[in-house]
Amino acid sequence: MPVDTRRVRGPEVSQSPLLFACKPAAVFSSHGPRADGRQRDQVDVRPVFVRCGLVSQAKGSAYMEAGDTKLMCCVYGPRETERKDDTDMKCGRLTTDMRFAPFSCPERGSWIQGSQDKDFSLMLHESLQPALCLHKYPRSQIEVNVMVLENSGSVLAHAVTCASLALADAGIEMYDLVLGCAIRQDGASYVVDPTYAEENGNGSDSSDNQGRLTLAFLPSLNQVSGLQSDGEMTEESLSAGVRTCIEGCYKIYPVIQQALAKAVRRAAPPPSES
Amino acid sequence: MAAGFKTADPLEYHRSFLKENCRPDGRELHEFRTTTVNIGSISTADGSALVKLGNTTVICGVKAELANPSVEATGKGFIVPNVDLPPLCSSQFRPGPPGEQAQAASQFMADIIESSEMLQMEDLCIERGKLCWSLYCDLICLDYDGNLLDACALTMLAALKNTRLPKVRVNGETGAPEVDLGKRRGLKIRRHPVAASFCIFDDSVLLVDPAAEEEQLATARLTVVTDEEGRLCGVHKPGGTPLSGERLQELIGRATVRQKEIHRLIDKVIKSIV
Amino acid sequence: MIMSDAIFSRPTHTFDGMMEECSPSTVSIREFGCEQNLLSRSDGSASFIQGNTSVLAAVYGPAEVKVSKEIYDRATLEVIIQPKVGLPSVKERAQEQCVRETCEASLLLSLHPRSSLTLVLQELHNDGSLLSCFLNAGCMAMMDAGLPMSCLFCGVTCAIHTDGTIITDPTAAQEAESRALMTFAIDSKEHQVMMTSTKGSFSVQEMQQCIAVSQAASEKIFSFHRESLRRRYSKSV
Repeated sequence: MPVDTRRVRGPEVSQSPLLFACKPAAVFSSHGPRADGRQRDQVDVRPVFVRCGLVSQAKGSAYMEAGDTKLMCCVYGPRETERKDDTDMKCGRLTTDMRFAPFSCPERGSWIQGSQDKDFSLMLHESLQPALCLHKYPRSQIEVNVMVLENSGSVLAHAVTCASLALADAGIEMYDLVLGCAIRQDGASYVVDPTYAEENGNGSDSSDNQGRLTLAFLPSLNQVSGLQSDGEMTEESLSAGVRTCIEGCYKIYPVIQQALAKAVRRAAPPPSES
Repeated sequence: MAAGFKTADPLEYHRSFLKENCRPDGRELHEFRTTTVNIGSISTADGSALVKLGNTTVICGVKAELANPSVEATGKGFIVPNVDLPPLCSSQFRPGPPGEQAQAASQFMADIIESSEMLQMEDLCIERGKLCWSLYCDLICLDYDGNLLDACALTMLAALKNTRLPKVRVNGETGAPEVDLGKRRGLKIRRHPVAASFCIFDDSVLLVDPAAEEEQLATARLTVVTDEEGRLCGVHKPGGTPLSGERLQELIGRATVRQKEIHRLIDKVIKSIV
Repeated sequence: MIMSDAIFSRPTHTFDGMMEECSPSTVSIREFGCEQNLLSRSDGSASFIQGNTSVLAAVYGPAEVKVSKEIYDRATLEVIIQPKVGLPSVKERAQEQCVRETCEASLLLSLHPRSSLTLVLQELHNDGSLLSCFLNAGCMAMMDAGLPMSCLFCGVTCAIHTDGTIITDPTAAQEAESRALMTFAIDSKEHQVMMTSTKGSFSVQEMQQCIAVSQAASEKIFSFHRESLRRRYSKSV
C-alpha cells in the first residue's frame, strides 16, 4: 500500500467508532414526518444562510449554510491559463475543484481526492459553464474552488448555488445565476433537499422507484443547465421531480438575490445626496 | 495612486509606513490583529473550532477513531495533526498534494503537541495494548492572509478543548469495543501552548503577527510557543536574518503576554458554550 | 552504513579530496571532520562527520530554472534531504525548510537571478545532532561550489539533560534521554542566531544558556572552516 509521505502519519489502521455503536443511529423511515420536522411530499427546503465576500484573498467568494450543510466557495481569475498548450484564443476556460473536508462526513474521509469528489467537480463544471459568458475572457481561466465543511445532504445542489453566487461576487459576466436543488424519491413519496441520512438511508421496504435527483437551474432564463440523477425511477416521477426541483430553486432565489444585492451595496455604496 | 505604488514597489510602500511607526493595515508594529474563536460549529466532527486572525481563517475538525496501540508504546494513543492549504485560501497555492509550507506547518503542529505535553497520550488509551483513540486533527486554511502558524496552533488548541469522546467499553467476552455515542466526555488539556509569530523587516524592524504581504517581504520569520507557566515549548526560526539573544528575549516577553491574552479568550469561549 | 564505509575508507590523500580532523578541547563537541570535493558530477560537494553522525552534501548550479519556479531578481534555491532509509516524510520537509531559509540568508542569491541552485543532503548515519550536521555539510558544499556568500554559518545542537545539564552535540542516546533539544545555526560575522529549531519545553534562561554555549562551540567550527580552506588552497596554488 502506498503511504502518503506528505502528511503526518497516524496508525496503520483505525476505525470509526460509529461501527461499534451500541444502538444504531435513527434510521430514515419512509413514513411519517421528517426528522427535522419538515414536510414530506412538499417543496420544503431548509432555510439557507448565504454571505458573499468573506475571503479576503479571493476575487469572489460565498459561504452557504443550508441546515447543517456548510460549504464555502472561492473564485479566482480571470487570469492567464496555467497550461500554455491549453490556451484557447477565443474562449476562456472554467476549472472547478470540489473537495470535502476530512471531518465533513460522519465517517472521516481521506485527504486524497476520491472519485466522488472528481465526479462532483465535473458535474459542477457542467452546471456552471452554460451560465458564464466565457467568450468574454479569451486566453484566460476562471477557477472555482468549493470546500465542503459539513456534509448534511444535497451537497452538489448547494455547491452549484454557492459557486454561482461566488462567480457573481467576483464580477464574472454571466447570463444568469445558477441555482441547485435536490430531491430524494422513495417509492411513491419524495423529500426535497434531503439530509445526509435521508439521502443515503434505505427506508422503504420496496426497492421500486428509488432515486436521487439534482438539478441546476437558471431562474430568469427558465432553463435547466444541469441534471444528475441516479437510482431507478419511473418516467413520471422523474419529470415530476424536475418540476419539484425547479419550484425548490425558486424558493431560495430571493435569498440569493438579497445576499448579492447586499454584497454589491457594500462594495459600491450608493452616492450620497450631498 | 496608492494602489499603483503598492503594486509597483511593495517594499518601498511598506517602508514608507514603517518610517511612521505604523503598518499599511493601520496597526502598530507590536499589535496583533483581532482574534476571534468559534467552537463546535461542525456537528460531524467530535470537536471543532474556527479561528479568525484578522483575515486569516483556519478551521479545525477533530475526528476520533479507534485503533490498536503501537507495539513500542502499548499504553499510548495517537494524535495526528495535518494542515492543508487548499487553492481556495489564496491564489499562491496550487491544487494537489500539500506543498512545503503545509508540510512544515503540519510538522510544527505535531512538534507543539509533543513538546508542550498539552495532552497526555496515555489519556487516549482505552485498554493497554488492545485499543486506543487516534485523534485526527485536520486543519484547513480558508483564507490565507499570513501568520498561518499562530492561527493553526490556536485553532487546534480550541478544537481539542471542544473535543468530546464517546464512552467506550471493551466487551470481556468478545473483545469487541462497544461505543456509547450518547455519553461523551471532554479531553484533559494539561497545557495551553500559544504561538506568537514575528517577522523582521529590512533586517531591523520587528513586526508582530505579519500579514501575507509583510511575510513575503520580510527577511526573517520567527514563531515562539509559550505555555501558561512561561516555559517555551518551541522557538522556531527557519533561517533568515541573524538575531541577537537580547532581541530574542524581547520577543519571548511579547509572546508570554500573548499567551495570557489567548488563554483568557479560549476560557471565555469555552465557558460561553457550556 | 555500507555507503558511508565506502566513502570514509577512501585514502585521505586522494587526488582532490581531503580529510581533516579536529579534536575537541574545552566545549565538548564530538570529533568532527569534513571532506570536500568528493563527488565528480556535482558543482560542489562535501561530507561532514560529527562523531558517528555523517551527511553527504552536493550542490548543483547555478543552472537553468523551471519557469514555474523562476524568481526574476534572484536565484531559486532548492534543498532536498534524503533519509538513510525510506522516503522523505513531513519531518524531512520541515528540516529542508530550515536549511533552505538559512542558506538563502547567507547566499548572495541576487547575483544569479533567474537561475536554480540545488542542495542535496543525504543522511548517511544518524547518531544525534542530525540537523546541525545537515547545516554544516550544506555550508561546506556551498563553499566548495564557490557560491558567493555574505557569511558562513554552522549548526550546533544542544540537549538539556533531565538533570538540567547542557550537552552540546549530543549522540542519539543522549538525545533520547534529554528533556529538550535545540538546534541553532550561527552566522560567522556576528555570531548571532540565524535559525532555531527546538523540541521539548524549557525556560528562557535555559535557552539563553544554550545560545551562549552554541556560540562558543561555533567558534571552533569556524576556525576549522578557515583552516581547512587555507590548507586546501595553499596546496593548489
